Amino acid sequence: MLLCIVTLVSVTNNKSNIIMATRQQLEDAYIDHVLTRGERPVSVYVFAKDQGITEQEFYDHFASFDAIEAAVWTESVETTIQQAQGQEVWNGYSAREKALSFFYSYTEYLKSKRSFVVYSLKQIPPGFLTPAVMKGAKELFDVFANEVIQQGLESKELEDRPFFAKRYKDGLWAQFVFILNFWVKDSSTGFEKTDEAIEKGVNLTFDLYQRSPIDSMLEYGKFLAQNAGFNFSHK
Amino acid sequence: MKEQQSIPTSKVARSAKFVGTGIKIGGNYLKHYSKKLFDPTRDKEELNNDNANDIYDSLSQLKGSALKIAQMLSMDKNMLPKAYTDKFSLAQYNAPPLSGPLIVKTFTKYFGQTPDNIYDKFNLSAAHAASIGQVHKAELNGRKLAIKIQYPGVGSSISSDLKLVKPFAFRLLGMSEKELDIYMNEVEEKLLEETDYELEVKRSIQFSNACAKLDNIVFPTYYPELSSRHIITMDWIEGLHLKEYLATNPTQEERNKIGQALWDFYNYQQHELHAVHADPHPGNFLITPDGKLGVIDFGCIKEIPDDFYYPFFSLTTTSILEDKEQTIAAFRKLEMIQDKDNPQQVEFYRAAYKEMIELFAQPYIKGTFDFSKPDYFDKMYAYGEKISKMPEFKQARGVKHFIYVNRTNFGLYNILHDLGATVKTDTYKPTLHSN
Repeated sequence: MLLCIVTLVSVTNNKSNIIMATRQQLEDAYIDHVLTRGERPVSVYVFAKDQGITEQEFYDHFASFDAIEAAVWTESVETTIQQAQGQEVWNGYSAREKALSFFYSYTEYLKSKRSFVVYSLKQIPPGFLTPAVMKGAKELFDVFANEVIQQGLESKELEDRPFFAKRYKDGLWAQFVFILNFWVKDSSTGFEKTDEAIEKGVNLTFDLYQRSPIDSMLEYGKFLAQNAGFNFSHK
Repeated sequence: MKEQQSIPTSKVARSAKFVGTGIKIGGNYLKHYSKKLFDPTRDKEELNNDNANDIYDSLSQLKGSALKIAQMLSMDKNMLPKAYTDKFSLAQYNAPPLSGPLIVKTFTKYFGQTPDNIYDKFNLSAAHAASIGQVHKAELNGRKLAIKIQYPGVGSSISSDLKLVKPFAFRLLGMSEKELDIYMNEVEEKLLEETDYELEVKRSIQFSNACAKLDNIVFPTYYPELSSRHIITMDWIEGLHLKEYLATNPTQEERNKIGQALWDFYNYQQHELHAVHADPHPGNFLITPDGKLGVIDFGCIKEIPDDFYYPFFSLTTTSILEDKEQTIAAFRKLEMIQDKDNPQQVEFYRAAYKEMIELFAQPYIKGTFDFSKPDYFDKMYAYGEKISKMPEFKQARGVKHFIYVNRTNFGLYNILHDLGATVKTDTYKPTLHSN
């Protein structure tokens, strides 16, 4: 009986390995296609045929070409988060440093995929903060950003402002999109300018999220609004 | 041009000035981007103009001793590059420290490893700021190390900042682009060299070897294999900066010893090596607990070509100045007197420059010189003040090498003045074997 289970497990494992491999192969083949030819394959049918599989098999892995591109983006964020969290210093980092570390690791990781990133971003109409191909990536990033912000709020590194604190993660996503676009256009040696953009941009974002004179001003205003009226009644 | 209401005096006020400019420039960018939001076709022309105006406004208000020295050398146009060099060191001084993750990234970029893996110990928070980077403490094999890490993007921002203000310099100084370029390029070249840490390591090793025989000077050991374009690894030197050292009330004898070491260091380089550490900024020196001078920064080296060295130092060391014809000939070589000058102009510039060179050469005349006396420096500033008011000096004069040779020597004089040291000035004298 035990043996039976073991075999069963190993069979499913094997099977998933095969699926994973093909999925990866399809991704690679697709990226290779768009980068060497500068355009998408004519149809899923043609692409599958080129890969020696049936259209049916293609759809087992991906619903469309868009889905392949989305998967590449999702994996990029997933891998980066894992890499960043795997660093020895990670647990000692503040929320701000964790965000910085993510972006530095991310641009480092993307270097190996730069051509694809340039191609993929070119397909996106201007002005989109969250293009369809990045939906999955954004979901993962949001989870990560939420964790980091939560840590910051708990340690009082960040100011817990009603309503706004829930939107902090959106600010980080805006940074994500900005940095990505900046990096694509960056022509400095070793993408130094992007490093600068990350350092300054993320620091500004976190400066805005931490306690600032505006908070004191609002509190003071609230105090005056509540207590000045009290004083007037004495006049 | 707006009237200048006041002249910022203290160093603090001058930094504040630049912070103010920074804020203004930030505002210009905001203005630019908010306008761009509604009209994406806007170009950056207006932004650059706004920025350059603000930068120049604040530069031209800086008339501290630094600028006086430049003016004093009667190249009023030098005022601009000089202001830049000051501006950069100040701006860098104000740069916020690099974050831990960026330091880790810089190391992985150049060495493929995190600092923890390279050194036995590495402190992620900076010990202090360096001119265009920051310094961290580390340890390897029992040795205490200083790791200098450069801020990213310094090199490209130097070039673009210089470009930004150029058009305004033309307009305000009424100089042709060609004339101004000679000075600008000299400054840009030197500033860019300072951002090349690989070059700095090479030169540091070369110069510390060449100067090893000088008394009372120590140099750190450099580790080229642990250095790269943006990282320098060297020994940590214990010691105090000049200001801190002076606060400990050292005796006159101790001050003289440090002053002598400084004098020897600079004059040995100028007259024996014909290349000199051209950044006599107090931050580049430490005074060690046993009373020696530690030199910790070789970022800026000025090579002195023969066609500048011989005419210039023959003026300071011989009696040429007493002879009108010879003086004029030397001034012509140094382009302080030019072919297009008429006889009155020749006489005017001869007299004005003679006064300057005499001031410059004063420490050399007798074997020793007391730098603590304020009257020498008062005379220098008075001369600078006078020169700055003369319309004749609104024109570019003098070869480009003046910029850094002056910066070096007057910088040295100023440090010695701060030290209040009396030094022997005949230890390494100009040698004029040829010409």
